[in-house]
Amino acid sequence: MASAILGLGHHLPAEVECTGVRRPIAVEPVGPSALAVPAATQALQRAALTPDAVDFIIFATTTPDVTFPGSGCWFQRQLGFGTTPALDIRAQCAGFVFGLSIADQFLRAGVYERVLVIGAEVHSSGLDYSERGAPIARLFGDGAGVVLVGNDARAGIRSAVIHADGRHHDRFWCEYPSSRQHPVRMTVENFRQGKHFPAIDFESVQRFGEASLPAVIQESLRAADITVKDVDRFIICHLLPEVTESAAKKIGIPSSRLNIPAARHGHLAAAALPVALSEEVSSGRLGAGATVCLAASGSGFAWGAAVVTL
Amino acid sequence: MRNTRILGVGHHLPSHVVTNADLTAMMDTTEDWILQRTGIRERRFSDGWTGAADMGAEAAKEALQHAGVSARDLDCIILATLSPDVDTPATACLLQHRMGIGGMPAFDVRNQCSGFLYGLAIADKFIRTGTYNRVLLVGAETHSTGLDLTTRGREVAVIFGDGAGALVLGPEADTRRGILSTHLHAQGKFAEKLWLESPAARSRPRLTEDMISGDEARIFPKMQGRYVFRHAVTRFPEVIREALDANGLAVADLSLLIPHQANLRISQMVALGLELPEEKVFNNIDRYGNTTAGSIPIALYEALQAGRIHDGDLVCLAAFGSGFTWASALIRW
Repeated sequence: MASAILGLGHHLPAEVECTGVRRPIAVEPVGPSALAVPAATQALQRAALTPDAVDFIIFATTTPDVTFPGSGCWFQRQLGFGTTPALDIRAQCAGFVFGLSIADQFLRAGVYERVLVIGAEVHSSGLDYSERGAPIARLFGDGAGVVLVGNDARAGIRSAVIHADGRHHDRFWCEYPSSRQHPVRMTVENFRQGKHFPAIDFESVQRFGEASLPAVIQESLRAADITVKDVDRFIICHLLPEVTESAAKKIGIPSSRLNIPAARHGHLAAAALPVALSEEVSSGRLGAGATVCLAASGSGFAWGAAVVTL
Repeated sequence: MRNTRILGVGHHLPSHVVTNADLTAMMDTTEDWILQRTGIRERRFSDGWTGAADMGAEAAKEALQHAGVSARDLDCIILATLSPDVDTPATACLLQHRMGIGGMPAFDVRNQCSGFLYGLAIADKFIRTGTYNRVLLVGAETHSTGLDLTTRGREVAVIFGDGAGALVLGPEADTRRGILSTHLHAQGKFAEKLWLESPAARSRPRLTEDMISGDEARIFPKMQGRYVFRHAVTRFPEVIREALDANGLAVADLSLLIPHQANLRISQMVALGLELPEEKVFNNIDRYGNTTAGSIPIALYEALQAGRIHDGDLVCLAAFGSGFTWASALIRW
């Protein structure tokens, strides 16, 4: 049994100008689950299926609706599912590739027939837009992308490889709330110090992105038994668009076949890859039979790449 | 296709014991009230800068030793928790760091009380498809730093404890043995019946001083106990029967049921409903409270130590909790 992409959808809130750049930002108080609902509706429509055809929901986010339960549960109730299992995973910027790999396992094992893989983020409610936080805040955007994958004779998901190295966990992180801080995981003092905002060591993130992306892209191509020239589009997610560019150059990816989501929308983390893939299909630039390599590297560090044929 | 087998089991519990009597000094409650409602006598609280990754690493070490597997040979790390060490990245990354390894994928599963079984279902599929051969699955919680240990929070605070458990999983060629099947469910309709609201990406801003302290603090879990109880005693038997049905087996075939340790009264009702004799249900909630993602692997460890699981036994793991989410797994030992 193989897995194929049955439908795609995305949703971006309207662009708003802040810190001198335009970004898709959810100005209303909504969580990632609410952004994922129109994206999933679109994916299901394109597949000519209804929510009851979905066996499993995988929700990848770093910015959950509430602390718990997971956003998959909040998403599930908005779309009117019955008791469809809803898994929440955390693999940061690479979350979508991790989710795709998990979906592929359940499909190949014959346990489920149709799986919704969601990457969705509402970064803006957790960023510091003051002068102090602006250099980080201006990099991020909000959005949601959804891919419906299902059992198929043709192999749509041709490879999915995932990695992590937690030795770098504090290079791109958001430390608080921190359950390991006793006796209370979040204090007013932690708050006043701004410990609940993301902190980034740009040099490490850049260096690691430039090393991990070419390697993992090559690994995914080898696993799919193809080379760079066989790929119609490379969609590469990294916090910094310039890192994506130099990583692509290293392995000879021409800019005409390169899609850098962060250059258009800011960093959408788990949402970046499904949003960009859905945009390519919506605009007609990619159609049935096109081969796409999706790659991401970010916080964790966690990174991964997948080769899919539409 | 091949099956998945449990190669090793480990656990870690902090040494600091908090008895019901200790809690009566912090809040207006009685030892009897806690025991009668929950079956809990004591729980463990971690101290210092100890978190889920630290406890998880200890449990993992024991599980790896038991399995005879080196940490470097792990292909994948899955960690289930609802009390992560940091907001981002996943606590699995901190666990990896703590274990001094890197390269293999590491991610968190955030499915509350069912998180360990959601993680088990994922690990099982990665192994069945032949993608990975050695998967580490950890369930770990540091509840104690997120509880309102005053009278206001007593209904929830008395239930939870800290701890971690771990499994090392690998392939089993005999498809009549090992993990026979896993079954997952969710119903977000009841998300607010047992939840922790803040920080919440859906509120702008995500966090304020008022959410952290004072009368309106929203950083503590809230539960509608009776509601959760009513759904638990329905969903538990349902998902256990689902697992048995899927394998053409009956309740009478079960050697041991290890339910998520949510509340002793729930476990007793479930056993009664299934007509399972007491000796076929494993409970240790009296000593550890509800350790959420940690409860099933800790209980499995103790059941093995106590000689309650033998070669060829049919063991069912089941969970229900916040989400609502619920799940089961059936294992031929």
